[in-house]
Amino acid sequence: MSAPLPLPVLIASGLAGKTVIVTGGSRGIGRAIVLLFAAEGADVTFFYRDNAEAAAEVVSSAGAAVHAVVAERVDVRDAAACAAAVERVADRCGRIDVLVNNAGTIRDNPLAGFSDSDVRDVLDTNVTGVFNVTRAVAPHMISRRSGRIVNLSSVSGEKGGRGQTNYAASKGAINAFTRALAVELAPRRVTVNAVAPGVIETEMSQTVRELAGDEVRARILLRRFGTAEEVAYAVWFLASDYASYVTGQVLTVDGGFKME
Amino acid sequence: MTATVITQDEIDQVFPTVAATMADALGCDVEDIQPDVSLIEGLDAESIDFLDMVFRLERAFKIKIPRGKIVENARGTLTEGEFEQKGVVTDVGMSQLKAYLSEVPAERFKLPMKVADIPRLFTPETFCKLVVQAQRDTKAAG
Repeated sequence: MSAPLPLPVLIASGLAGKTVIVTGGSRGIGRAIVLLFAAEGADVTFFYRDNAEAAAEVVSSAGAAVHAVVAERVDVRDAAACAAAVERVADRCGRIDVLVNNAGTIRDNPLAGFSDSDVRDVLDTNVTGVFNVTRAVAPHMISRRSGRIVNLSSVSGEKGGRGQTNYAASKGAINAFTRALAVELAPRRVTVNAVAPGVIETEMSQTVRELAGDEVRARILLRRFGTAEEVAYAVWFLASDYASYVTGQVLTVDGGFKME
Repeated sequence: MTATVITQDEIDQVFPTVAATMADALGCDVEDIQPDVSLIEGLDAESIDFLDMVFRLERAFKIKIPRGKIVENARGTLTEGEFEQKGVVTDVGMSQLKAYLSEVPAERFKLPMKVADIPRLFTPETFCKLVVQAQRDTKAAG
């Protein structure tokens, strides 16, 4: 008789006590990520741009978490502000273990209808913002030979979507950034991955859902929109000990979205 | 940038911490960190290691070392155009560089020298001087 197979052993996620930074944490997917990581016992600081009321609500919702959640008003487009905020977190917590680059914005329009600011705001927030925060955080992770970076991408980064040339370009850039940084940081045992959500029930996708909800839903194999929590679980996985051998990947969380 | 000469005493004072910090960053024994060893050719340091070393030195000495500071210090009062042309260090730039990196043996200065290759010259002593200069700048800033 052959030896019995070892029973599967569920290990802890490893996130308890970890220092986590989440950008764009006051609403939508970012809010769900903050609350999930806080519930896991991580020491979470999230950045938000201007909605202090929403930020306060997240802090209060996480009230029962093991560690207090800290909200920092930081515009990710401002490199100096990002560097200063990251240093404050490092000074307070002594290290940074996980960075979730979630802050993003959307300004859908046909290409010819874009204003300069439609292009600039999306690229500055979604791409330059990721560079700004990651440049500030990476030395901490390199120095400790440990760290997890998870970038929020989008299915738009791989597949076309009408009126989304600016957003799609920004998310395609994030996918490329993820793969290149994974190569650069792998020797220092820092993993870099991305999560690419499809249409998720958040404020950011409200217009798409309102204007073309049925049409879009018909293209999703699971015939429904995703929830912020379902995306947060994918981020949690990539930041956890379960994903210790995963780097340079873009994990799609879209219910099976078939796009043109 | 100040023109004040950095003394051997000042270098000796910071060297033990610089050496220990570099050994941690490079994963080597502290005894391997000799003042004049080439970091790239002698200790296999890569560009990411320079980033790590600067990050650690900033914390160890509570100083700020802006990116590109060594080359900026080496350039001294020369303008960028006087120091380099199309990425190659000029004759006057070379004299300035040799004077600033006086700890580097003369035979390591290969001609023509590209600006991108200047880090190949760096030694632990180069970083000691960088630290001393940054300490002075911090003190001067109050």
